[in-house]
Amino acid sequence: MSNTKEHIDKLMQELRRGTITIGVLSQLSEPQYGYSLVTSLDAQGIHVEPGTLYPLLRRLEKQGLLDSKWDTNESRPRKYYLLSETGKEVYDLLVVEWQQIVQNLGNVIDIKGGEKNGDD
Amino acid sequence: MEMIDRYIYAVTQKLPLAQRDDIAEELRGLIEDMLEERVQEKEITNHDIEAVLTELGDPRKLAHKYSGTNNYIIGPELFDSYMLILKIILSVTFVSITLSFVIQSILNPINILDHFIEFIVGIVIALPQVIGWTTLGFGLAEYFGKVKEKDLQSEWKPADLAPIPDEKKQIKRYEPIIGIIFSLLLLILFVFSQDYLGIWIFDDGFTGIVPFFHDETYHTSLLFLLLIVGLGITKESLKFVYGKWTNRLAIFTTIINALSVATIMVMVSRDTFWNPHFLQELIEIGLLTENSDAYNVFSTIWNQSTLWIFLLLIIGLIWELIDGLIKANRK
Repeated sequence: MSNTKEHIDKLMQELRRGTITIGVLSQLSEPQYGYSLVTSLDAQGIHVEPGTLYPLLRRLEKQGLLDSKWDTNESRPRKYYLLSETGKEVYDLLVVEWQQIVQNLGNVIDIKGGEKNGDD
Repeated sequence: MEMIDRYIYAVTQKLPLAQRDDIAEELRGLIEDMLEERVQEKEITNHDIEAVLTELGDPRKLAHKYSGTNNYIIGPELFDSYMLILKIILSVTFVSITLSFVIQSILNPINILDHFIEFIVGIVIALPQVIGWTTLGFGLAEYFGKVKEKDLQSEWKPADLAPIPDEKKQIKRYEPIIGIIFSLLLLILFVFSQDYLGIWIFDDGFTGIVPFFHDETYHTSLLFLLLIVGLGITKESLKFVYGKWTNRLAIFTTIINALSVATIMVMVSRDTFWNPHFLQELIEIGLLTENSDAYNVFSTIWNQSTLWIFLLLIIGLIWELIDGLIKANRK
């Protein structure tokens, strides 16, 4: 059944790719640096590779959703990221969209439970 | 620690200069954080560094994630056509070089070793040449034919749909292929049988040839010729990729043609291109008598050949441009 597993891995990868952005944005109402984000997300069950997260942070910054600032006061310099004004707006709307998706998909998936369940 | 430097270098070396230092520093911080978490209070060993770098993965992949774009000379859309054309060109080149080797060896078996060396040299020179020129043609098409980001931003309406190209506008796939094969054959014919291009003298059997071209400048002529054929392959590749006549294609082909014509003219108008003793040799073997009518006609034609070639080429150039534009704008 390794074939099934392969399929699942591939599909999960695609699924995660889209959702990870929401996860990242959700954590950045307070400034965080990359690695602290990795650990804090991981602690909440969202696993993301640093090699994926760091380029993603830059991309979001480039798109204007995040602001960044180097902090050189600590033992080593760290780049802190924070939601920009646009980022906040986008995140709030994204959450609404996401909940819609969860609800809709929930309905669709539930159909198998009782044939005409989705019709209400 | 040196390994960390190497890793960071491997990731950042291909990234845009403006971001390089910033990314490098952030990456260094990340690696140090990861190391710290791994060893806690203990000493960092090389083994720990290796483990952390392994976790971060192949630096090329990471660099790719940072740059986020794919840059191709020839993208996936054109790649199949590119390979097809390349295979055809390579086989035609190979077969014709081999063929001319065989023919030369039959005509002149004593010098078979020379022919063989020529054959090897020909293969070594010609194959990379044709690959290079074909790539240039497809590369141009990729670069100019790419769907531009800003084209995609304007709103699309079904009315924008381009009409299916008219039969007459379409360039059949075999046309450029034949064009390429033809120009390659021409090149190889010239390269390997230049000595045989001339007036063949039969006097109780084949006795010799009065060549059209000047033997000693053969190698410089060859360079010009390679350039001309190269431009030709580039042009045909463009036609193959575009698949239909457009104004842009017509202009591209005209530019390439103009370059070829200029190259031909430089080549032909050098004093040393044509055999300078051509008329003399014809007289010597008794084919012409000096100052006879036939001689006068012949020498006029011979001496003006450069001019005629030039005129023909210019006419051809203009013809192809007009033809392309007409085909592109036909309703």
